[in-house]
Parts: sequence; C-alpha cells; structure tokens
Amino acid sequence: MKNRTLIYSVVLLLGIFLFSCKEEGKYHSISDKIEGESKPYHGILTSEELLADTELIEITEGEHTFLIPERKGQIKSFACIECHSKPVSQMMGKDAPKAHWNIKLNHANSDAMNCATCHNGEEMNQLNTLTGKNIDFNLSYKLCAQCHSSQFEDWKGGAHGKKVAGWAPPRASNTCVNCHNPHSPSFEKRWPVQFNTKTAIERNEGLGH
Amino acid sequence: MGAFKVFRSLVVDSLDTITKGSKKYHLWMGFLILVMLIGMYCYSIQLEEGLSATGMSDRVSWGLYISNFTFLVGVAAAAVMLVMPTYVLKDIDFKQAVLIGEGLAVAALIMCLAFVVADMGGPSVLWHMIPGIGVFNFPNSMLTWDVIVLNGYLFINISIPFYILFKHYQNKEAKKSVYVPGAIISVFWAVGIHLVTAFLYQGLQARPFWNNALLGPRFLASAFAAGPALIILVLAVIRSFTAFKIEDKTIKKIAMIVTVAAQINLIMLVSELFKEFYAPTHHSESAYYLFFGLHGKNALLPWIWTAIPLNVLATVILTFNKFRNNLKVLYFCCFMLFVAIWIEKGFGLIVPGFIPGPYGKIVEYLPTGVEIGVTIGIWAMGAFIFTILAKTAIGIELGELRYKDKKA
Amino acid sequence: MSDNKKWFSLDLGLNNKKESSGSCGCGKSEGSCNSSPKEEELSADEFYEAAINASIGEERHRDGFEQVFDVKMDRRSAFKKLTASLLIGAGAVTTSCSVTTGSDTKEKAQIGWEEQFKGNYKLMTDEEKQGTINRLMRSYELRTDKKINMTAENAAEDVLFGYAFNISKCQGYMNCVSACVEENNQDRNSEMQYIRIHEMKDGEGFKFDKADDNYYHEVPAEGHFYMGTQCFHCDNPPCVEVCPVQATWKEEDGLVVIDYDWCVGCRYCMAACPYDGRRFNWSKPEVPENEVNKNQHYLGNRMRKKGVMEKCTFCVQRTRKGKNPACVEACPTGARIFGNLLDPNSTIRWVLENKKVFRLKEDLGTEPKFWYFMD
Repeated sequence: MKNRTLIYSVVLLLGIFLFSCKEEGKYHSISDKIEGESKPYHGILTSEELLADTELIEITEGEHTFLIPERKGQIKSFACIECHSKPVSQMMGKDAPKAHWNIKLNHANSDAMNCATCHNGEEMNQLNTLTGKNIDFNLSYKLCAQCHSSQFEDWKGGAHGKKVAGWAPPRASNTCVNCHNPHSPSFEKRWPVQFNTKTAIERNEGLGH
Repeated sequence: MGAFKVFRSLVVDSLDTITKGSKKYHLWMGFLILVMLIGMYCYSIQLEEGLSATGMSDRVSWGLYISNFTFLVGVAAAAVMLVMPTYVLKDIDFKQAVLIGEGLAVAALIMCLAFVVADMGGPSVLWHMIPGIGVFNFPNSMLTWDVIVLNGYLFINISIPFYILFKHYQNKEAKKSVYVPGAIISVFWAVGIHLVTAFLYQGLQARPFWNNALLGPRFLASAFAAGPALIILVLAVIRSFTAFKIEDKTIKKIAMIVTVAAQINLIMLVSELFKEFYAPTHHSESAYYLFFGLHGKNALLPWIWTAIPLNVLATVILTFNKFRNNLKVLYFCCFMLFVAIWIEKGFGLIVPGFIPGPYGKIVEYLPTGVEIGVTIGIWAMGAFIFTILAKTAIGIELGELRYKDKKA
Repeated sequence: MSDNKKWFSLDLGLNNKKESSGSCGCGKSEGSCNSSPKEEELSADEFYEAAINASIGEERHRDGFEQVFDVKMDRRSAFKKLTASLLIGAGAVTTSCSVTTGSDTKEKAQIGWEEQFKGNYKLMTDEEKQGTINRLMRSYELRTDKKINMTAENAAEDVLFGYAFNISKCQGYMNCVSACVEENNQDRNSEMQYIRIHEMKDGEGFKFDKADDNYYHEVPAEGHFYMGTQCFHCDNPPCVEVCPVQATWKEEDGLVVIDYDWCVGCRYCMAACPYDGRRFNWSKPEVPENEVNKNQHYLGNRMRKKGVMEKCTFCVQRTRKGKNPACVEACPTGARIFGNLLDPNSTIRWVLENKKVFRLKEDLGTEPKFWYFMD
C-alpha cells in the first residue's frame, strides 16, 4: 500500500518534470537564427510609398547600390552660373557685389582646405576633386570620400548616416551634406532637449533621512 | 443529505461560538475589525489612485506587500513541522498543536493571497489568471506554479482539519485511512510551496542578489524557524486564555524544531555573507547596500542590524537546553526570532534585490501610510480568520460543540 | 459573434437589434428588456445607474484624452465594481436589462463589457483583433468626438527586427527620448521615458553606476561618451517567461510586446528584466488631447491605463509599415541603425558583419537584438 503510493508520487513528479521541460529552441543563438532563417529571403514590405515624395538618384559604389536624395534641386541658388557667368578669377574685383559673405569655412584648416578644394572656380556648376576632375553636385559625397575614407566605407555599408524614410527596401540613404554642412561639418555643442525632473527628484531627495 | 444537515448545524454552532466570549475576546475581535476597516479604506485609496499611493517605484517595484507575502508563505509551510510528527510519525504529543498549526497555515495562506491581490495593478482583471477562463502561463512562469501550490496547500490545510473536526463534531473517530494520505501529501506540498516561492526570485538572472542556489534552502530553514516560533507564541496565548490543554512537552518539542531550524538558518547566513564579502564582485552590491549602505543610501541599515543580532541572540539562547526549557525565556526568544526573520526575509530580502537597479541606479524605498495601512489590515484579517478557526476547533475538541440530532 | 472564441463573451443585444428583443441576455419576457423605455423610465433610473457603474464606471463623465477602459474607482463604488468584474455575468444581466434612453450610452456600455471580458490579443484571430480595435476607436470617438486611427497589423513574413547603436556617434542630445515620448503617448505626469542615455566618462569603461542618465548641461561634455539603453527585444526574453498570464510575448518579427488589456500588473516581468526595459503605470497616464499621437497600433502606442506594464515596442505602429522607429528618425547624429536582420542586403546586417559589435550583459543568455558598435 505504502509502496504503491510512493511509486505513484514518483511517477507524478516525473510527469511534472517532463511536462515542464521547455521546448528547446531551434537555434542556439541569435546569430544562428539570423543565418538559418534568412536563407531563402523573400521579404515583401517596401518603403517605396514612403519615398514617393522624395526625388532620389541611384548610385553604385563598390558592391553597394542604393538611392540618395537628389541635391541640386535643394540648393536655393542653383544653378550657380546664373550669377557666376564667368570664372571666379574674372569676377573677383573691387566693384563686384560681394556674395556668400556669410559662409565661413570651418572645415579642416586653411592650409589643407579652401573654397577651391571642392568648388570648381572655372565651371561653377560643378565641384572638383583634388586632382581637378569634375564632380556633379548630386554626387558630392565623392569629394568627402577623398579624405574621409573610413566614414565613406561605413556610409556605403550603412553604419554611418541615416536612412531617408524607413528600414524597408529599397535602401535610400541620406548623403553627407544632408546632415553635415560641408562648410562646417562637425556637430555643435548644445543643451539636451529633455530633462526628467521626476527622476531627479526620485534619486536626489532620497527618503529624507 | 445527512452530511449537509450536519454541516449546516456546524456552521450555525460555530457562528454561535465565535460571537460569544469574554469581554477580552470581544475587545480583541472589535479591535481586529477596526483595523481591517482601516486597511480597507487604505486599499480603496490605492484602488483610486493606483499603486502610486504606495512607496514603490520603477526602481523598487516590489515592496512591503511582496515582502510579507514571502514571509507568510514560510509561516504557512511551517505547519508541516507539526503535521509530520503527528500524522506520519504518530507522535501523540503534537495532536493538540496540529489543529492550531493548520489553522495558522490557513490564515497565513489567505493573507498571502490577499497580499498578492493588494500588489496587483489590475485587480479587476485577475480572472485572467484563472486556468480555463484566462490564460495560464504554465509551466513557464513560476508565479503560476506558486498560484497552484498555494491554492492546493490551502485546500489541503482546510480539508484535513475540517474532516477531523467534522467527525469529532459528530462524536465519531476520524478515519486514519482518509486523512493520513492527505497529511503525507501536505508534507511534500509544504516544502513545495516554499521552494517554489523561493524559485520565484531565484530564477531571475537579472537580480544577482536573489539568483543564488542557497535561496531556496535558506527559505525553508528560516520558515521552519519562524513558523513554529509563531505557533509556540499562539499556543502560549491559547493556553492562558482558553481551557484547551497543551502540555509543556508539546511546546518543548516544537521549541526543538525551532532551534534546529534557526541553527541551520544561521549557518546558511554565514555562508551567504562569506560569499558576498570575501571576494566581493559587482554582484555583491545589493548585499553591501543591505548591510553597509551604498553611496550614502542606507535606509535598510537600522532594520538589518536589528534583525541580525536578534537572530543570533535568539539562536544562541535557544541552543542551551537550560534556557530553552524555561518557558518565559523560550517565548521571548521565539518573539525575537519571529521579528528577526520577518525583517530578514521580508523587505531585507525583497528590497535589496532591486537596489542597485540594472544600471546601478539607486532609488530607496519607504512604504507610505496607505501601504502600511493595507498591510496591517491584512495582518488583522489573518488574525481574525485564525481566531475564528481556532475558537471553533477548540470548541469541538473540548466537546463544547457537538452535533445534536434534532430527531433524537 | 463567432463561435470559435476562446473565452467568455457577452451579447448585450446590440448586435442583434433586428432580432426579437427576447434574445437579449436577461432572458426575461419582452416587456422588461429594451422594448419599452418610456413607461419604465423613472423606476429604471437607478437600475440604469447601477448597470453603467458596474460596467464602465465613470466612463460617461470622461473628458479629453482617455481612450482606454480605465475603470475609475471612487471609494464608494470601488468594491462594488471589483465584485462586478469578478463575478462574470452578474453585471451582464443588469446591463442588458437596463432601460436606456440614449443609444450612445448603451453602446458605450456594450463596448465596455466586451472590452472588459475580451480575450488575450495573442490568441485572437484576425477578425477578433479587428473587432477590438474597432471598439477602441469607436469608444474614443464616442468620448471625445475625435477620431483615431488604430491598426492591428501582424508581423510580416521574413522580418526580424534588429537595432544597432553607435556609441562613438551619440552626442547625448536626447532628441530620441523626446521623440519617443511624443510618438508613444507616454504618461506626461510621471515623465515616463523608455530610452535612457547614459553619460559615461572616457577611460573608465562601462561604469553604469557612475554614469549619469539624467544630465542637463551642454553636450557632448568634454571627456565623456554616450550610450543609449531601452528595451532590447531579447530573442530569449526573461520577461516573457515569467508573465503568469502571457500578457507579454515575442512576435514573429522579434518584437516583445504587451497586451495592455490583458496585463494584470504583477510586475514580475519588471523584476525579471536585466536591462531596465519595462515601465509601470503607477497612476493613471495622462497625455494632453492635442499631443496625442492618433496613429496607433494595438500593441504599440495606444493609450494605456493605470496598473499595467508598458515598454518600447520598436514603434510597432511605424515599423510594421516599413518606417523607422521614432528614435531612429529623430537622431540627429545617425547613431541609431534599424533594420531587418533576415534581409542579407540590409544595413543592419552589414553593421553586424563588418563592425565590431557587442551587446550588454551577454552572459545572461537573453540574446538581445540590440547591438552596440564603434566607428
């Protein structure tokens, strides 16, 4: 009698243990899971609708092909040749009206950079590389990439910079000048936009003893 | 049909007994009702304002309620310490104490459930937890295990004494074959409820203070010290206020249990302290906070430094036969031990688990008036329930309450 | 009502108005239910009062921003209502038998009941999901005369969301924090925030306890770097394991979400989270009506009630539409990268494969889907 009760209770306990054994996950870690589940990839979500209002151009850099915002339409006084009808050297003079007086170059030091490092003084609608090759304003990132090669690598891959609308393909990334002012590219110090007064009270007041 | 009639008569008789008594008894019950009403008022404030009426915060998200819940699970589990020798080892000494012990367990369990409900953010949707109607995350969530074992234990602890009393009420002998298997189950079950409650905390990798293997065993040891200590105190009260006879031998035997459990508890405490402070790691910060304060925050120091000396002192005194056999000293030691373990296993366990937070931030916890009101109210409810149960049980055991067949 | 529901459901007769009134829940004869409001108006007043109280409480007098069925308790009716909700059915009879004058109030009562006793969102069929969001939208409209747009999109196929945070880019401006608060309708009174930005000293390593996560001075401060934390949407989330009622779970696309209406508020998940990712509504959350984000998702930024958990959902209302979470969009420095881990061409995948990434408290085995990296 007593033995039987004992056996029953053991069986019951065993049953509970078996029942409570969790179903082992298919994957050992998240990286296994990513690898395992992404093999036949057929995602259908797209951000095309979100990108509809933005004018984009497609670029290919190395193995990456993606969209960047068109730039020329965003520059207020484009095209430059509407004013700069002649090369800069010819327009400079005492009686000529001053232009772009508010632009102060705050990018590297003056030994390394001046306006002509990027702007083509002869053909104002174009930018130029260090070796004097013309670059379209839409592709200004190519200029930045001349010095900032590691950032360029990150940007191409997607580790640097922001996306235009969403995460879903097609990929549309902001280009350098969408976040950085090319004349003064670094971010400035400023006050944070948030302060949590409740947290401050909670932590500093303590318990009042 | 007949059983139902007897049951109705029992209810009527017990209602009759519990409403009659000495002036002191009425005063005691009146006092309890008053405190319960205050507790209910406090709870209604909490219902209206939300849990912001308590001292809890996102940092310390469990407080006095869960502390008391944890402690009381231990008290409830301790009833087994009396059940086992009486029903299983057939030790007659405990016969009188065991009904009281089980009554205490029932009261403690009801208090446990009340504390859990008081701690809930949405008591109106608690039906989500009822298996069948709601969604029960069994067996993944330890809380569901706890719900099962607590309610199961409550059921066992109501049904066994009820069966015995019901038979005695009818002047019959209770059948051993009926209640002994129940008693055996309840022995395992009692260990289960406390272990499961410990696992509730022990299983959280986020809280290193709780996430140690000793937590469960230590819960058991402290429970088997504090629970029987409370039973001794209650027996002492019953002995002096009622005609119910409890022999010195019984109390001394329970005292033995208390002593051994307290000694084991102390050994485990030393082991725990050694681990935390011999080679302190980042995970020892909670223990530092508890015992020495952290970054100038030291709200728990007075409590824990009350608890530890009380605990050590009581254990040492109890260890000596001469002192333990002196009933006055024994009662005093039991009281010390009870208070010490209430602190140590109540908020001395729960609150430091949350301090410092996952990112090292410290927000201290101090219960508000509302919280304390609800807590005291629930304790009063427990005392109230216990008094009712004990009075009926004693009445039956003394033969004052007997079924009178109307036909006869 | 569909037959395949997994829980008790209540029919107050609103849905079958065209049928005979005998079909309403009270089971009485025609005269006493819904058919003769005029004669019984006076005597029915009390009855009506009790019915509304039992089901939706103060809902009638609600103003502004409350969208949820946060049954407000006053001291007198608190216990009454508690009982009412627990004793399924008792209130149902009173409500369905109540003789009402306005169909709006009646409709509110009906919605209130169905919401109070609906099932767990996780187990709902798509129709049931649609049903509950329709009720929630309708009830918001009834109360404020304003419309909200709530959706219940399910996880898309072959999507697993992941997040990467560049600690060398973050400057501590906290634009993400405020964007998150606005997007997700977080309680303004308690200043709840999902995101924390920790200001750490250079050269000290990750000393979270010494870091300041509530600074207010010009940033970036000299000699410091910044690190953001929020819910990491673990692949092996301890919070989900411990929830006693499965009110929180991991969706197919990896988002760890909460059904606010199913949560009982035990805060076990909060204790289980090693990343401080979860927040509790200690009191009734409030958002000024003009600041409410009306594009909502059931699992995301819809209005919460007091006594329930909430947390970052990677802005499920945005990300399931292909957008970036609000924090990613608001970040002025591009420190936050979000994307689909299962898309081999996604930028998040490139980051994981080409940058030196790490995660917080990896030893706990929670497998967060939130990586940190440096330039």
